[in-house]
Amino acid sequence: MSDLAAFLWLIPALPLFAAVLIAFLGPRLLRGQSHWPCLLAVAGSCILSFLVLAAVVGWIRTGSETPYDVLYQKYTWFHAGNLEVSFGLRADPLSAIMLVTVTFVGSFIALFAVGYMHGDEGYPRFFAEIALFVFAMTLLVSADNFLLLYAGWEGVGLCSYLLIGFWFTKPSAAAAARKAFLVTRLGDVGLLIGIVLLWWGSGYRLEYDDVFRNIEARPYLVPTACLLLFCGAVGKSAQFPLHVWLPDAMEGPTPVSALIHAATMVTAGVYLVARCTPLFTDAPHVQLLVAGIGGFTALFAALIALTQNDLKRVLAYSTISQLGYMFLALGSAVMLHDAGGENNTLVTFAVTAAIFHLFTHAFFKALLFLSAGSVMHAMGGVIDMRRFGGLRRLVPITHVTFLCGAAALAGVPLLSGFWSKDEILGAALNASSEAESYRAAYGILFLVGLVTAGLTAFYAFRAYFMTFWGEERIPEEAGHHAHESPPVMTIPLVVLAVGAVAVGAVVGPLTHWFGGLLHHLPDMTAQEEHPGNLLLMVVSGAVALLGIGLAWWMYVVNPGLPAELAKRFKLLYEMSLNKFDVDELYDSFVVRPLAGFAEFCRLVDHYVIDSIVDLIGHAVRLFADIVFRPMQNGLVQFYALAMVLGLTVFLIALARAL
Amino acid sequence: MSTLPLHHYLVVGAVLFALGMIGFLARRNLIVMFLCVEMMLQGVALNLVAFARYRGNLQGQSFVLFILTVAACEAGIALALVLTLYRSRHTLDVSAWQDLREANLEPTIDEEPLPAEPEAAPEPKLTPAGIEPVHHEETSHV
Repeated sequence: MSDLAAFLWLIPALPLFAAVLIAFLGPRLLRGQSHWPCLLAVAGSCILSFLVLAAVVGWIRTGSETPYDVLYQKYTWFHAGNLEVSFGLRADPLSAIMLVTVTFVGSFIALFAVGYMHGDEGYPRFFAEIALFVFAMTLLVSADNFLLLYAGWEGVGLCSYLLIGFWFTKPSAAAAARKAFLVTRLGDVGLLIGIVLLWWGSGYRLEYDDVFRNIEARPYLVPTACLLLFCGAVGKSAQFPLHVWLPDAMEGPTPVSALIHAATMVTAGVYLVARCTPLFTDAPHVQLLVAGIGGFTALFAALIALTQNDLKRVLAYSTISQLGYMFLALGSAVMLHDAGGENNTLVTFAVTAAIFHLFTHAFFKALLFLSAGSVMHAMGGVIDMRRFGGLRRLVPITHVTFLCGAAALAGVPLLSGFWSKDEILGAALNASSEAESYRAAYGILFLVGLVTAGLTAFYAFRAYFMTFWGEERIPEEAGHHAHESPPVMTIPLVVLAVGAVAVGAVVGPLTHWFGGLLHHLPDMTAQEEHPGNLLLMVVSGAVALLGIGLAWWMYVVNPGLPAELAKRFKLLYEMSLNKFDVDELYDSFVVRPLAGFAEFCRLVDHYVIDSIVDLIGHAVRLFADIVFRPMQNGLVQFYALAMVLGLTVFLIALARAL
Repeated sequence: MSTLPLHHYLVVGAVLFALGMIGFLARRNLIVMFLCVEMMLQGVALNLVAFARYRGNLQGQSFVLFILTVAACEAGIALALVLTLYRSRHTLDVSAWQDLREANLEPTIDEEPLPAEPEAAPEPKLTPAGIEPVHHEETSHV
């Protein structure tokens, strides 16, 4: 298998090469064909990722040679003093799953974009940036040390900024890009400090395994470091205090929303926490915080999604909510200290649940976004659900694929979302019954998760019914050519729809493939056969169906009801519609004071600092005017005398010094 | 043959240098000022030669050869400059050039003006010779 490890570097390198190629050749030479390098590179990475995954699976089947089934590749990057950084790529089960998710979903989204972005002025730029993003993301998930992970982390942040602001002439897009960059930066600072703390605490190590092994010498650092790492995750994965950037990020082109702001980049935070499970399990208080933030965000974002009228915004809040679910699962990974030693079953179960949900979510959320993009394409750029409706005959393929995605998101029994959401709820339930502390808190979080599941089903199908049912309405922007998208867009939709429907069942409950893979990560043990909490499955399935039924009743059977309810519960409705005024709170408590402070600094600079500088300039001029100008009297002898006197003084001083 | 001690030469050199300096500072005639500069230069050269002899090597001598060469070049340039200056102001008085001072400064005027110089003879000019050629009216073909 070592020959495969030698090709590991190609997975990030191919998209990088494509990005550079398009950047240089795109605007002049490739133009309308700019998608080819990007498509080929990402597809090549995808094939290699599958090979890597197969290799990792093969190793696990045959019994492993290395402790964690790692494909490894390493060069020295640089070193300075105590800091030694290697450019190391690894593919253990977690990385391999992430690689496959990113490149597979990325390939189809890039294919979709060929149709969606057709004729755009920045066509080459778009594909260069998409390829660059895939490079940074694959680097992030396959890095074997924290610093390389951070490099990828910032890389995806940059690409996110560039792609949100893709239509940078639109002021709202430019503002959204800036907001996304600044808000995630807030978390990134925490992440960087956390990495430095771990590096210092573990005796100047950066590789994951080294850090996890050596940090045990300084256990008091672990909670702080975990908290800081979680800061980064909160920023990148748009969790509660820093979630405000993600809905605005929908200003970018829809394939970008699907790839970066739903399927891959925002899950980087989940990946980071999952990767650092050995640290987090040693800090139970932080784990509760992770679960708490996750659960709260899940509920909070779901409540906002209930009333949004912009189809993409509904999906954006849904993404935040689903990411909250993943953090809820990760936070439920609590270590049990049995009499006979440590029991890690719960940890394995919870992390598996989170990564499993990440995996299925990537499929159905990318599918939903691309379907929304297809709708937008047909409607001439209109995305407000109040302005169209009854599109199921106009765009039949998109209708079916959106239905698949919505059903998977809602957790309709036997679809992908059902299995993964069920595992997350199971993880929270296990934590509430078996954890050594905070059982009640985990119990509450389990209930929050269950309520959110119902809300999720409701808003997903609210969007579906509002878009595809009722009488047919088409906004005038669409003109007479409102039509189904071309095959280059519908084929990715169909592929992802199949994935959204089937992938969960195939890799989850049927084969236990996920759990079988992930227990080979450090700090996890092989779990006994999936407990398969049947009661929980029935309850969560029922909740999902209840939510869907309610949506059907409110938006198909009684279309007047929502407006009436909104009027009756005006306060609640407006709170949800205005996103609980979080943006306004930030505006008045953070943005305005800071802007005021910046204005103050500007005035100080302008009037105080600049005045001092001007004063110094004037003083020199004045001095020269008084002292030096009269000396230039035009008499050669006067100058010569000055020279003689100066020389005399110099010589006297020299003589004294000697 | 008795040899004079070193300090005799040095004193002569220093006297030459000082006299030259005083002359440069005190005189206003451009040519005299130039001669004073040459004298300062010779004072320095004398010192160098004296040291060379005192130490019994040739370094000072060769230095002086270079100084003489450079002084010759310098003299050529300086005299050319003096000539040019004289042509534009018809005087060798260096204070005639004090209007090159900084703007807005009062001119320095001697309390005791220099005695008036006799009118300089007009510069000689060659008398025209031969027959003046016919001047054709220029026509442009552009």
